[in-house]
Amino acid sequence: MAKVKLSGAKIVVEELKDEGVEVAFGIPGGVLLDLYDVIYKQEAIRHILMRHEQCAAHAADGYARVSGRTGVCIATSGPGATNLVTGLANANMDSAPVVALTGQVVTSAIGTNAFQEASTFTITMPVTKHNFLVKQTEDLPKVIHNAFYIASTGRKGVVLIDLPKDVLSDVAEVDLHPKETFAGYKPNIKPNKVQTKKTAEVLANAERPLILAGGGIISSDASEELRSLAELLGAGVVTTLMGKGAIPENHPLCLGMAGMHGHLYANRAINECDALLALGTRFSDRLTAWQLDQFAPDATLIHVDIDAAEINKNMPVDIPIVGDVRLALHDILKWLEKKQKLGGKSVWLQRIKEMHSACEECIHDIRRAGSSVSDMFIKELSVILDDDAIVTTEVGQCQMFAAHYYMTKKPRTFITSGGLGTMGFGFPAAIGAKVAAPDKKVVDIAGDGSFLMTCQDLATCIESDIPVVVCILDNRYLGMVRQWQELFFDKKYSHTGLGLTPDFVKLAEAFGCYGERVEKPEDLEGALNNAFESGKPAVIDMIVGKDDKILPMIPPGGGIIGMIGTERCKHV
Amino acid sequence: MQTRIISLLVEDHPGVLTRMSGMFTMRGINITSLTVSPCETDGLSRMTVAIKGTESELEKIRKQISNLIEVVKVVDLRAEGAIIRDLCLLKVHTKDSDTRLEVMLLAESYGANIMDATQDSVIIELTEEPGKIDRFVDLMQHFGVKQLFRTGLTAIGRD
Repeated sequence: MAKVKLSGAKIVVEELKDEGVEVAFGIPGGVLLDLYDVIYKQEAIRHILMRHEQCAAHAADGYARVSGRTGVCIATSGPGATNLVTGLANANMDSAPVVALTGQVVTSAIGTNAFQEASTFTITMPVTKHNFLVKQTEDLPKVIHNAFYIASTGRKGVVLIDLPKDVLSDVAEVDLHPKETFAGYKPNIKPNKVQTKKTAEVLANAERPLILAGGGIISSDASEELRSLAELLGAGVVTTLMGKGAIPENHPLCLGMAGMHGHLYANRAINECDALLALGTRFSDRLTAWQLDQFAPDATLIHVDIDAAEINKNMPVDIPIVGDVRLALHDILKWLEKKQKLGGKSVWLQRIKEMHSACEECIHDIRRAGSSVSDMFIKELSVILDDDAIVTTEVGQCQMFAAHYYMTKKPRTFITSGGLGTMGFGFPAAIGAKVAAPDKKVVDIAGDGSFLMTCQDLATCIESDIPVVVCILDNRYLGMVRQWQELFFDKKYSHTGLGLTPDFVKLAEAFGCYGERVEKPEDLEGALNNAFESGKPAVIDMIVGKDDKILPMIPPGGGIIGMIGTERCKHV
Repeated sequence: MQTRIISLLVEDHPGVLTRMSGMFTMRGINITSLTVSPCETDGLSRMTVAIKGTESELEKIRKQISNLIEVVKVVDLRAEGAIIRDLCLLKVHTKDSDTRLEVMLLAESYGANIMDATQDSVIIELTEEPGKIDRFVDLMQHFGVKQLFRTGLTAIGRD
């Protein structure tokens, strides 16, 4: 391609277009004037003006998780960039592909404590997959191409590009759309054939095979392969929090989410299985709990992950496979299809059946004895929303109520902050989700504590016409911490009471949104219909009790079969 | 605890050293020796890092380091297989001519070079494997080491 003479800002926008970017979430600032001037004069990229940089990052994150494409966020130098950090750390922890553009002071002023200067490059190094500080305009095409390539391949993640003001305003002669990449970056996606064959042998001979589906299934779009394998083998499937939606949770082989706040029988199945195929998961402590001798003690453990550094990191495994989960499943299925006989698991299938129905009964029976009002609200929501609706969550009790009682049917419809546990994530993530999927209903399951951390972006929803619905489990407490204080700290409720939180209905109305208060779970459907029919962003304030607890749970230090609060579960 | 030497081929970019050392910081691993220098390929640098830790810690960090975008190659140099060298410069106090003679004889027996001498001190250079340098420095402590500089180790694997 012939060289073209363009300003840095124009090069940035041209390269973003070439990468297929359709939308960017951002806030302008002094050093970004050149970039925003170019954004103003074009229509290919929709820019959504956020009201806080953290929300810009979360929105890009939510957009990425729902669409499977790379999300883009923009923030100015100094405070703009430091505000972005939480959102970047969040996306990177959950391996969501995001490219962040930050403004920086002119190159000659870097390191002088200039106005709105922060060392974004060093600050964001530990919370990104990679980052760049661009020193000259000529480097922009290669940097931007590589940023998108790195963010969206291998184990996906966040790449930040720090753009000094003069790099954006200077004119340079460049070749646009370069294809060269870094010598040291070659994501290993092809699984080893010997290992996949060995896996197939182990699974075929297992009497009690179980699949543990992590977020990797969703990011590599491997749901169909997962389901085929489970059905072919007669294997049970449990998921991690990030893997929710990898398989429809009403599928007869699915036992739901495992872990600290998981389903009783998902955890039991992990303890009972004799072969465990873990796919795209990093065995976080919230999954395995702390007594590792209770985690699949009798099983041959097979771990497939695209990141070699995850193998044997948290859990010693018998058969490691480094590569893309979808390709690995494809290979395992091919080996298994060559086998004549895979039957002989009727006892295990019967066990899965009884465990599955015990869990499903708990969820379908909305007003089951022992249910809290919070349970009931989420169970109602699970019935009201269609299978395509997208649920995002805040963090804390609301998140675990959602994870436990909301039945997810499709991948990319349950968006939550898994690794970092960021309160305030759900609402801006819902904004990103709605932008990615404008035809789908998007609901943020929130807590009153979390929502107050990012609620200013109701202004974004109104201004940019993004009608998401926030359903607040409103208990006027930081519920999860309160639950722990109640259970493990002698009911000393230190600083978890939120006191006179605002009237969320009036708050919504103040922004021009729809607001409604619901006191009884059975009234939720009417309120949700009103919200959707209003066509506006909406807040539904669901009043719940401060003593509602998300149970059962594994207490701190416990093991996967040491759940407490199982009285309300059906025992099989 | 064991010592492991990792040789890294990295892109010669600003920030690569911070990125690499940050990886160790995050995991609470102390770097005992670090050298950075140009190598046989333009645009790349070689880092030789010595770290102490348990076998599993060291294996985890090796994989994490390999994940860094600007790290082109990671070679794990097991101490027994590699040729390891460290360069040491030390200024030894010599209170009289007898002492000076003794210091110079000892230096010669270690294969060290005398770089400079004054009335009351001698500057010695020794390039050797680190253990031998340790022994030589211990020996010189007896006379009084005024200053000690070591470059940190560098290592090369055998074919």
